[in-house]
Amino acid sequence: MTETRFYDEELKVAFPLIVQDEAAKGEFSHFLVPKDLLPAITHHLHTQPSLHGRLTLLWAVDNRPIRDAYGLHYLFTLGASRSWVVLSTELAEGDRLFPSITPHIHAAMWYEREIRDMFGLIPQGHPDLRRLVRHEHWPKGTHPLKKNFPWDHVLGRQQGEHHFRRIEGEGVFEVPVGPIHAGIIEPGHFRFSVAGEPIMQLELHHFWTHRGVEKLFEQQTLTAAVPLAERVSGDTTIGHSLAYCQAVESLLHIEVPRRGRYLRSLFLELERLHNHLGDVGAICNDTAYALPHAHCGRMKEQIMQLNDKLTGSRFLRGVNRVGGVEIDLTVAQLAEVVAEMDHIEKDFSELELIIIHNASLTDRLETTGVLTERTAWDHAVVGVVGRASGLDQDLRRDRPFAAYDELPVKVVNYRYGDVRARIRVRMDEIHESMRLVREIRLKLPQGPVAVEPSRRAQAREWALSAVEGWRGEILYMVMAGENGTIHRCKVRDPSFANWPAIQQAVLGNIIPDFPLINKSFNLSYAGNDL
Amino acid sequence: MFRILKKSLKTGVVTGQHPAAAPLEETSTSEAKEKARPFRSSLAFRAVDTGSCNACEMEMNALANPVYDIERFGIHIAASPRHADALVVTGPVTVNMEHALKDVYQQTPDPKIVIALGDCAINCGVFKGSYAVTGPVDRHIPVDVRIPGCPPRPVNILNALQELRKGSDKG
Ligand code: SF4
Repeated sequence: MTETRFYDEELKVAFPLIVQDEAAKGEFSHFLVPKDLLPAITHHLHTQPSLHGRLTLLWAVDNRPIRDAYGLHYLFTLGASRSWVVLSTELAEGDRLFPSITPHIHAAMWYEREIRDMFGLIPQGHPDLRRLVRHEHWPKGTHPLKKNFPWDHVLGRQQGEHHFRRIEGEGVFEVPVGPIHAGIIEPGHFRFSVAGEPIMQLELHHFWTHRGVEKLFEQQTLTAAVPLAERVSGDTTIGHSLAYCQAVESLLHIEVPRRGRYLRSLFLELERLHNHLGDVGAICNDTAYALPHAHCGRMKEQIMQLNDKLTGSRFLRGVNRVGGVEIDLTVAQLAEVVAEMDHIEKDFSELELIIIHNASLTDRLETTGVLTERTAWDHAVVGVVGRASGLDQDLRRDRPFAAYDELPVKVVNYRYGDVRARIRVRMDEIHESMRLVREIRLKLPQGPVAVEPSRRAQAREWALSAVEGWRGEILYMVMAGENGTIHRCKVRDPSFANWPAIQQAVLGNIIPDFPLINKSFNLSYAGNDL
Repeated sequence: MFRILKKSLKTGVVTGQHPAAAPLEETSTSEAKEKARPFRSSLAFRAVDTGSCNACEMEMNALANPVYDIERFGIHIAASPRHADALVVTGPVTVNMEHALKDVYQQTPDPKIVIALGDCAINCGVFKGSYAVTGPVDRHIPVDVRIPGCPPRPVNILNALQELRKGSDKG
């Protein structure tokens, strides 16, 4: 807390024109900033060694129904203390321009393009103003998150073509891949430029699965939107629903009972386990080493069957609710979970030895798809990928939620940033999650698992929430509307932060290694495209 | 090597170690079964995601794990629509994917079967009505088989595919 104060003072001294919003809850410091100052102050936050701020989220809100203005908000996570600073500015009275911060904060690139597509606000000075979410066939001047855009109206199509960045020269050719892929993967387009074998450039063209999730949230009420949050990225059902519920709970001033918080941690770890197990196998499989894939597929299946037995859903759907969890576990069930953990951990440890001692596998994984710490930091990469590139960050330790304030997590960290580091992070986290599950069983307090909301949310109040899902940081910003509706819900899956970084990690590798690198990132398309 | 052998021997056969499926309603009509007649001993399908939340994909991938081992029924996943006998479509058909779906359908040789997998593909699920969704799948291409669920369990998918290929009573 004291450290937050120190940052606050420093900022106010450096930029006397900014105003601190004292009403902000203890979770973050909030400043109101004139828009012209944005580039300077964000640059200061990002580069000042004592601050070392990472752009964590950038979102816009259409406030026009109430007053004639758009709101823009920048969330930074500061250096060692991991405290949050939010900068807010307003574009009033028909002003549609705001200064781009992308020229010196690379991580803002996609956020600003997204805001331009969804709100029609223009980041001045942005180096790349091509469309991002709305593909070129969307009619001009249609911006779905503006309040006067009807949520249920499908637009006609216009002519248009996406222009990829071109590399010209002798022997350079382009390889287009997607949107529909050979295996069972989600749709996305990758455009490679190669000269001979090595990749010189990769450009992503995503957002094929854009379903209008954020607009759909605005049609729901605060307490009823949990099923939608569960379906933002299906493999992260608990992560997303938990982040959403926490945001709403802080709007409704709900304190979730301790047992409920412990169970949330338990389910979050189960979700991490089945996904990590699947990924370890799938990475091996992409080097044509099918044996670990079969074993991992079997263990993953065991956990999903366990999920099904405990909750009636293999993906743990319907577990989270606003106020706590729907499902309580009996002593016998908990014992079964732990027995299953012991069993799988032994099984997995044996497999791990097989994987680690396979020299030809190691040869494929080492130095493949290197994402350096510097590039990872510049792209504000999060989660597993970040921890494999030396970024020591994990919300379970840094900003504890659910029961993690009472469950210390040992954060895994590797420095090399190659595929091998990313598989090792997952392997270590599998053991850590199993340990956590055991600890949860020992510490699980008695009591209720949920409370009913008793208060109403104040219209226009907003709350932020962050959860370390199995992929990385999941962020939600929920702003209440009138009578328990949702005015705006900003969803940020870790994939959105990590996708651009893959364009760097593949450089100099050969195309046949791309599926392997992509698998080691294993990012969601659905969660990215919304 | 010894380690690998030991592991395999210790693990044994896990195929079929899953809970039985709760019976679903009829997933395929008798016309669909008739159409599937040529594919009774082997069926290659191509997965097309038109905007699913990816849980349906995960369950399809699970079909290939040793527990369900779908290949033992002669069903495998084709890498190109031109090699496919069937399309398995998931998701509510987003505006951005609409043309890709139609293209894939065109490129799949006849006779072909279209399987709508999951509630989204059948009725758009939670994404129904959105400005970015033009589905469900049968608005754009003819659908033969519908497998409901959000997502359907792998064993249900397996049963539906088996039922489709069992043929009508006449055999
Ligand atoms: S049916 Fe359910 S699980 Fe399948 S894609 Fe739709 S929301 Fe996801």
